[in-house]
Formats: sequence, C-alpha cells, structure tokens
Amino acid sequence: MGFIKLVVFGFIGLSIIYLSVSVYSRSVRKERLEDRFDTENPDGGTPGARETFITEGMVAYNSSIRPKLIGLVYVVPTVVIGAIIYTINAN
Amino acid sequence: MQRFKTILRVTAFLVIGSFFHYVLPQHDVVKVTSTEIIRTDFSSLNRIFYAQADSGASEQPTRDLRLINTQKQKTFLLGFLPRDTSGVMVYRNEDTGWIWPPYFKFDSSDLQAEAANLARGDEWAVVTHYGWRIRWASIYPNAVGVRTISGPEVTIIPWFNIFFFVFLMVALVFIRAMWRQFRERSVDPLLDAAGHEFDEVQASVAARKGRLSRWIDTWRSKK
Repeated sequence: MGFIKLVVFGFIGLSIIYLSVSVYSRSVRKERLEDRFDTENPDGGTPGARETFITEGMVAYNSSIRPKLIGLVYVVPTVVIGAIIYTINAN
Repeated sequence: MQRFKTILRVTAFLVIGSFFHYVLPQHDVVKVTSTEIIRTDFSSLNRIFYAQADSGASEQPTRDLRLINTQKQKTFLLGFLPRDTSGVMVYRNEDTGWIWPPYFKFDSSDLQAEAANLARGDEWAVVTHYGWRIRWASIYPNAVGVRTISGPEVTIIPWFNIFFFVFLMVALVFIRAMWRQFRERSVDPLLDAAGHEFDEVQASVAARKGRLSRWIDTWRSKK
C-alpha cells in the first residue's frame, strides 16, 4: 500500500515541479529573445519583425534538447530513491 | 514590531532546525552490548515518534519492538567534537517503509542480526540513525545501519547531510528565481493593466462628477 501511495503522490509532486520548471524555462528564453531583438534593433525594426523573430526563436527552442532535459525531473528522484533503497538494505 | 519579527524568525529557525535534526542521519561510535525485543503499547504522545509495523505486515495497536543496547562514545556539538566519556544508548530498529522518513529501510531483521553478531564480541561500530532519545516519553532513535570500525578515534564525514544542504540551498535559490520571473512576466503586467484601468475609471468618474456639479452650479445663484 505504501508503495502505491509513494508512486501516486510522487508522480503528482514531480508533475507540479515539471510543469513549473518548463514554464519558467520558456519564460526565460522568451525574455532573452525579446531583449536580443531590442538591442539589435533599437529603432523597433519593421512592423511584425519582433513577433516573427520571437516565434521563430521559440520554435527553435521547442525542437532543441533543453525542454527534453526537464524530463530529468522524473528520472533523477527515481534513481536517487533506487540508490537509497540499495545502500540502506544491501548487506 | 521589530522584536515580534525577530521572535518569529527565531521560532521558525528552531522549528525547521529541530525538524532536520530529527530526520537527517547522524552517526554514533558505539559498542553493541545486547539486542532485545520488547512489547510496546503506543500512546498518542509517543506514537508519531515510531514508524509503522514492518513493511508487508499489518498495523496493530500493540506490537513487538526491536531494540539495540549500546555503550556510546559521548560527543559535543552534534557529534563534531568527540569526548572521552561514554554512556548507554538504546536504539529502536524499525522498518521505515516507503513513506516517511524516506530511508526506505526494510531490513530491520537483518540489522538486528548484525547487531546481535556485534554484541558477541568487543568491536567498535558506527551506528547510523535518525531521531531522538526522549526518556520521559520512551522515545528512541531509529538505527538504519551499522558498520564495524577499527577503533573509537574515527573521523566521520556526513556526506549525505553535506549534499542535502547544498541541494537545499540550490533549490531555494532556484525557486526564488522562478518566483521573480513569474512576478516580472505574469503578475506585474496584470497589475499594471489593472492599475491603468482603475486610473481610467477614476478619471471618468471625476469627469462625470465635474459635469454634474457644473449642472448643479447652473441652478445656484450667480455671484
């Protein structure tokens, strides 16, 4: 019973962490893209150029490895728990 | 107000500090003298200081409890300063199971066998444990591991606690960064928009009031 409780609540907790970390990561990337556009085009650029620059940057971000690395939020605690179980119970 | 804040901070520090002191692993240099099993009837006072029944067994209001009796080298400062004196220390030996505290200990029978083996000789050992010994409430620290050492003069580096506190610091800094980003990008623009709207409403109210008072003024006698 305890094991099922751990899996269910662990999954819920890690999902909350996963979602907040991915939202944070996207937000930081978007802010960086905006800042870069603004420093490269101090006059504001052509109309619509800022939006296309940011959309393209976000598409590149989505296909990069970075958002996939956030999946480690699930992997690392599982590995740590496995390691603890082994070291505590091994003879 | 300042004094109130200080009291609040000290209380929070003490509560969090004693929580970690209870839950995190500590190491004692001991000689195991004997092992025993006693029947235990928990009270509502000391129940939370015990784990549940053995992993896989069912929970009953009363059960047997494994104890490890030792002669322990005393220390100062949470075990950082060794002393020459020694005293008795009794550990309980219970499965922590899957949930809390997260030691995932299922091998209390094996640990009891190891302790019984040590009790036959005169060897020094390091007991890893968490918890407190509170005598007036019959509360024991829970032993999670035991290993033999050559002598009582041994330097123990608490690697787990070092990694734990480093991780805790990193996590707190990260959460702070996340919170700031969230405020800057999501909450502040909303507040700005709301503030702007509020200003507009206020301005239109002021304009209407101006119109009304002007109309009333037309009924007043001219000075």
